[in-house]
Amino acid sequence: MCALGKPLNKVFEDLVKGNHGGVWAPVFDRSGSILKEQGLDAGNAWRIALEESAAALPLDHEDLDLLMDFGEMLGKSDREMQQAVLNMEKEKLSAMEQKAKEAAETTGRLYRNLGALLGAAAVILLI
Amino acid sequence: MDRANGTGSLGRISSYLPDRIKRVVDRISPAIASRLEELRINAGLPLMGVFGGFDRFIAEDGSFADRPEEAFIVGREEVEELFYRLCEHSVYAYQEDIARGFLTLRGGCRAGICGRVVYQGQTIRGMKDISSVCIRISRELKGCAEEVFPFIRSGRHDIFNTMVISPPRCGKTTILRDLCRIISTGSEKADFAGLRTVIVDERSEIAACWRGVAQNDCGPRTDVLDGCRKHDGIEMALRGMSPAVIVVDELGSRQDAESVKMAWNAGARIVATAHAYDIGDLKERLGFGMLIGKGGFERYVVLGIREGRRWIKVTDAYGNQLYRNDQAPGMHDGILGMHGHRAEAVGAAESQAACAAEA
Repeated sequence: MCALGKPLNKVFEDLVKGNHGGVWAPVFDRSGSILKEQGLDAGNAWRIALEESAAALPLDHEDLDLLMDFGEMLGKSDREMQQAVLNMEKEKLSAMEQKAKEAAETTGRLYRNLGALLGAAAVILLI
Repeated sequence: MDRANGTGSLGRISSYLPDRIKRVVDRISPAIASRLEELRINAGLPLMGVFGGFDRFIAEDGSFADRPEEAFIVGREEVEELFYRLCEHSVYAYQEDIARGFLTLRGGCRAGICGRVVYQGQTIRGMKDISSVCIRISRELKGCAEEVFPFIRSGRHDIFNTMVISPPRCGKTTILRDLCRIISTGSEKADFAGLRTVIVDERSEIAACWRGVAQNDCGPRTDVLDGCRKHDGIEMALRGMSPAVIVVDELGSRQDAESVKMAWNAGARIVATAHAYDIGDLKERLGFGMLIGKGGFERYVVLGIREGRRWIKVTDAYGNQLYRNDQAPGMHDGILGMHGHRAEAVGAAESQAACAAEA
């Protein structure tokens, strides 16, 4: 069967079966089963699955909103348009990843400086 | 003969329908629902059913409405929702089907779609802004060709090249599908062993493959080339599958006729259908002349409707009648004697007038 012809519920199912899901496996699994059993559209299935797994995912509100918007586009257009949506989403995620890295670096430097300061203070107090 | 289970087919399509439309369809009485051939769902227009060739508006309580304003009106968003459901919320997975204007559904039903057609150069790339959907209920009438089969069998291991002809909506494809099933399965009653068969199913109507699996019983020795153009499919079948019989629906072009000739030269038998009122009409059509007469099709199964009753006859290549039944079994005979809006114009009369002339 042509892989391009797979409907979304099968795609999600195969991602989980093939261990390609990683930390996202529960989201894929749940999205696939909602699509198959409840007949909801992909956007709603994806949103419900994300909301249910949100606590277990290292994401803030901004990240979740972006992913939910992405779900709204799933399955609603032809291959070329879906590819364009995926490319756009990848670019957005890369930008957010970069921002998160910079934030982690800045925060890390701050904590390192704070640590040194506290260490110095403790030494001063002990003297 | 297994009577087609119309309500069963309706049950299969009802899972695709948006809630409001599903409620209306569920309210149609089972006796009427079993005659439903098509459900026509147009944005902003009345919900309409086609029953035995007669179209009727459907009211919110599932009864027939005489006037459009009394009927259940379908919302634009409902057509959109229906379209996404038919595509399993995965438009990309069905884009080739959408470009061809129809989707084959689980269970063998078909949904024709209309909307804004998108071109890429000279080729249709897809469709958007879907405005209407016509769900055609699949009716598999197992056994409906048993009566005619002995007349197309030419031995325990062979059949005659056979053409099924009729005007639209007289049941050509239904007969063709059952002939295919019998040819592939074999028949003790007709002392026929069964032959390797390939269906070239350009419009996915014979086998009605859904995700690669035939939804209709076409026999155990049957391979299906689904969605394949007839002239490509006949050549592919001959090269790769060594069929004894090739089954094709709706021959129409000169190229189709040349492919049939090629199959005959390769020793395969052909069972085909074509739109025509009679053999004479067929002869005049582009390319068909070479398939008729000496060295052409050897049997003709001709179908029609007269005064609401289906008839069927079999002739040989010279027009000699071998079989006739004026009350063909298992087929529709009009919707309980009722007449619908535009009924004569839409389906029945077109067929009746033509077929009556033929008969």
